[in-house]
Amino acid sequence: MTQQSVAVAAPRSARTTPRALQRLLKDKIALVMLILLVLIILGAIFAPLLTSFDPYRTSLRNRNVPPGALHLFGTDEQGRDLLARVLFGIRLTLASGFISLFLGGIVGTAIGVCAAYYKRADNILMRAMDTVLSFPAILLGLAIAGISGPGTWSVILALAISTVPPIARVARSSALSVVNQDYLVAARALGLGDPTILRRYVLRNCAPSILVYVTLRFGQVILLGASLSFLGLGAPPPAAELGTMVSQGRALLFTAPHVALVPCFAIFIIVLILNVLGDAARDIFDPKIQQ
Amino acid sequence: MLRVVINRLLISIPVLIGVLFIGFLLLIVAPSDPAAVIAGEGATPELLAVLRQELGLDRPVLERFALYLQRVLQGDLGKSVINKAPVIEELSYAMGPTFELMLCALLVAVPVGIALGSLAAVMRGRWIDRVIMMSSVAGLSMPGFMIALLAIQYFGLHWGLLPFQGRGGPLWTWSGILHMVLPATTLGSILIGPIARMTRTAMLEVLTLDYIRTARAKGLSELKVVLKHALRTALPPVVTLIGLQAGYLLGGAVVTETIFAWPGVGRLAISAIASSDFPMAQGTILVLAVSFLIINLMVDLIYCWLDPRIRL
Repeated sequence: MTQQSVAVAAPRSARTTPRALQRLLKDKIALVMLILLVLIILGAIFAPLLTSFDPYRTSLRNRNVPPGALHLFGTDEQGRDLLARVLFGIRLTLASGFISLFLGGIVGTAIGVCAAYYKRADNILMRAMDTVLSFPAILLGLAIAGISGPGTWSVILALAISTVPPIARVARSSALSVVNQDYLVAARALGLGDPTILRRYVLRNCAPSILVYVTLRFGQVILLGASLSFLGLGAPPPAAELGTMVSQGRALLFTAPHVALVPCFAIFIIVLILNVLGDAARDIFDPKIQQ
Repeated sequence: MLRVVINRLLISIPVLIGVLFIGFLLLIVAPSDPAAVIAGEGATPELLAVLRQELGLDRPVLERFALYLQRVLQGDLGKSVINKAPVIEELSYAMGPTFELMLCALLVAVPVGIALGSLAAVMRGRWIDRVIMMSSVAGLSMPGFMIALLAIQYFGLHWGLLPFQGRGGPLWTWSGILHMVLPATTLGSILIGPIARMTRTAMLEVLTLDYIRTARAKGLSELKVVLKHALRTALPPVVTLIGLQAGYLLGGAVVTETIFAWPGVGRLAISAIASSDFPMAQGTILVLAVSFLIINLMVDLIYCWLDPRIRL
């Protein structure tokens, strides 16, 4: 068998992508959610262009202004414009969710693929993952914030660590279905090294299922991150962080409920969009449903 | 059954060691010197040196970990830096309310979730099914603190129906019950969505089985078929899910306690971390992690009881 035919036999993911896109275009709710998500991400990226208000500039004369024409979402207890703060907050929330999923995803995938490929390491690696998995994410957050002090990176680290074990499990199970295939034996016979085989054949085949899991997990990660910063373990005030903003606005619930509720709804809408998209991604990529 | 219990306990050992190590880590990275804290202000360097030796602070890390394990196993979790009270004593006051809150939350979430999930399965494809499933996705996407704040905003502040600050006393008193309603419902509502979804999926699978058709053919009412025959078979995956969600319940308890000023372990943990009270933070995290292990063990046992095949 030549190297070329080995390569032709392996990657499945490249062929499923256009079909997946077609299916996504058919699912109207998912499509609307995808458009909304893109708009929100664009809004977060171009936040400085969308609002003329500085999210950190206080104005004691404009404290607790309810939502209206000038301040679309109102202002908070220090007169800062809530729309600007929410847009910048979404930026921070999405970025920390993305970074933690990225870090957790890389480590988790590496562990899962190695566990499947190197049989000797399997037991040790997966038992270690079980141990981490039995530590609830919020406790990890508490412990990390306790050790390194509250801050955005503590939250990201806690979220990343709690993402590693489930991704390792997903990666291991999809890698296991590949490692005994004939084309891998052929690739080995051709003299390809382990790193090349893992990268070119094993990883490519695991990618779709890991990506689906990551999409499903994104909403949960954002919720958890928001809870951690609500508890005061994330970026300290005056940072424009959605969870921290809710926690700050809590005291004003009676006089100016919008200060706490606006960032709450922002989190809710983002997570809702991500959850619906995650479900759609699972339906699209899940081979059982495709059959 | 005994074998299952022993197996589960053995699996828990490495986790427990991991938890204890994290607790230990919290103590050794603490910027404050425990000897200085115990000696108080104005202590002489000689006294500090003696205290350090007594506490084992001058020994290698692994030896200190062994000493720490010995102390923890004897129930000595150190003293709070803030109010100098033994950590274990503070924890013993806080554990009851947390346990009570989680139990009441489950009492809200489990029946409601199972009922909604079963209803959605029986009414599959109709508008009730769609409404229940859409609300469960919405519920899954809502941060716990948002439900709590909305509940406080309307039931507490706006309509003044229910108290929302602190614990009103033991659960057998009227005030105790009233104070429990909002925190327990808020915490429970986190679990309703996942439980309803899982019940629906499991129930849909069971409802197609032959014995259900037999039950219907016998002329049993649909209610009896669902409640008496289908539900029992559909329950094991739901129980597993509740176990998997125990982490969320615990995390949710930390958030709920903070919002409702509930005097539990979660609130204690947050205030300990905010005030850099490392011994207290270590104690609360240990207690929360160990209770998570116990909840999971209990779920496994209930699972065994529900599904006799596992006992074999």
